[in-house]
Amino acid sequence: MNRTMILQMIVSGALMGQVYALIAYGFQLTYATSKSINFGQGELVMLSAFFSLTLINWGIAYPLVVVGGLLFGAVLGLFVERAGVRLALEQKSEGWILLTIILGLFGFSTAENIWGRDDRPFPTPISSDPIHIFGIGITPLEVSVILGVFAVMGLIEGFKRYTLLGKAFAALAADRDAAGLMGISATRTIMLSYALSGFVSAMAGILIAPITTVGPTMASTLILKAFSVAVVAGLDSGFGVVITGLVLGAIESLTSFFLGSGWREAPGLLLLILALAVRPTGLFGKTTIRKV
Amino acid sequence: MLICEQVHAGYGNVRVLHGISFEVQAGKVVALIGANGAGKTTAMRAISGMIAPDQGSIKLDQQPIHHLEAARIAHLGLAHVPEGRHVFAPLTVEDNLLLGAYGWLPRLFGFRRKAAQEMDRVMQLFPKLAERRRQLAGTLSGGEQQMLAIGRAIMARPKVMLLDEPSMGLAPVIVQEVFSIIRRLKDQGMTLLLVEQFASHALAVADYAYVLERGRIVVQGYPEELMKDEQVVTAYLG
Repeated sequence: MNRTMILQMIVSGALMGQVYALIAYGFQLTYATSKSINFGQGELVMLSAFFSLTLINWGIAYPLVVVGGLLFGAVLGLFVERAGVRLALEQKSEGWILLTIILGLFGFSTAENIWGRDDRPFPTPISSDPIHIFGIGITPLEVSVILGVFAVMGLIEGFKRYTLLGKAFAALAADRDAAGLMGISATRTIMLSYALSGFVSAMAGILIAPITTVGPTMASTLILKAFSVAVVAGLDSGFGVVITGLVLGAIESLTSFFLGSGWREAPGLLLLILALAVRPTGLFGKTTIRKV
Repeated sequence: MLICEQVHAGYGNVRVLHGISFEVQAGKVVALIGANGAGKTTAMRAISGMIAPDQGSIKLDQQPIHHLEAARIAHLGLAHVPEGRHVFAPLTVEDNLLLGAYGWLPRLFGFRRKAAQEMDRVMQLFPKLAERRRQLAGTLSGGEQQMLAIGRAIMARPKVMLLDEPSMGLAPVIVQEVFSIIRRLKDQGMTLLLVEQFASHALAVADYAYVLERGRIVVQGYPEELMKDEQVVTAYLG
């Protein structure tokens, strides 16, 4: 046991933690516009990964697979909004919670029926031979994860900051009535936010699939940890989820190293319980969106 | 320019407006006055689509709008400065103003350049806003927020502007300032529907006025006439 090894754990874990951050970021996108989140986000990750795998099996070039997978995710996001969330929001009910869970289960069965229950490898042209930097091995695959996460988040943050449509997102989050009076359509903005969150989920699926393999349950623990990250970081800070993701990923990797891989999921869940206990208003309490 | 006919509206089971009819002609300033709870704000909200009227028709520039949602109505050229200002607190003054012009600016790029001329006009009208351009709207004083809310509505280049209680909660000096702005907008030819509790202020700028009482229009006329009407004077101007 030496320092390099521990550092190695921390770095690999932190890199993986970025995938949690990315999914949590997807929650933030829809929460900002509609105060709702898609509890079936994990299934969006999984379905997009399966769809991309199918594209690969059809012999389509990798860059096109990525584009196709991301578009597929965005379409799924739109579907969730239209078939579930909007029905509840129109009646000002919290029914979107159940509706998104149901759509998630539906997606799960669909995946089992189309692609079967087995986990399958996800071939990628990106190498998994580690490059050593100061004795710490990082694979290009891991690097692709972090680059992918930052590229997508950077793109969306840029969109929110530098385009008028992006500012409309913020306006809708700040004051729904006033946004309507400016001519900002809540329905269309919410649709866009769901498409973006689907896009983000698909990116998470494509990035993580080569590392974890693809199967119907690939995202079930992933999504819980994304929840932890979202609850701890709050639902309005993109920077917050990145940091929380880094920390959680590192802790996880150390835990599984020192206590055994069976304990791998423990820190994320403990963090979730702790965050909810400290902030009893929880994920949906108004206080989670207070400005610091 | 704006015509309301027999408009009924309310919230849930509570009916607030019981068939009000009035008209705002192009280039005119029309005041709606009345006590608290008379239905002035409800009328504004029904016009701009924040609530859907139960009955009656509302026409903006000859086009029926009573069945449309707020965002659509805004695109058709109606700007509503709501009671309580409702500026976007976490956004900068500049972003608030840009969003005011959401209806006619390009959504992705080049919107700043396109908005520049209108923005300069607003900044000239409200030099305070120019100073605080990059400040968050939530950090402005009440008076400045009111200026921002009006500036945001000007940015929309509306056919009709609704101003709901622009003097609410402001110091007397600031109220004077707000009304001098309203007067300037009127001189520039803006069509305005103004709701005020301080009836004397409203009547001083208005071309025509309606008095609302418990959801019905009870008196209407030119300001000079209303100021001679004993009932109006004792109830609202006393």
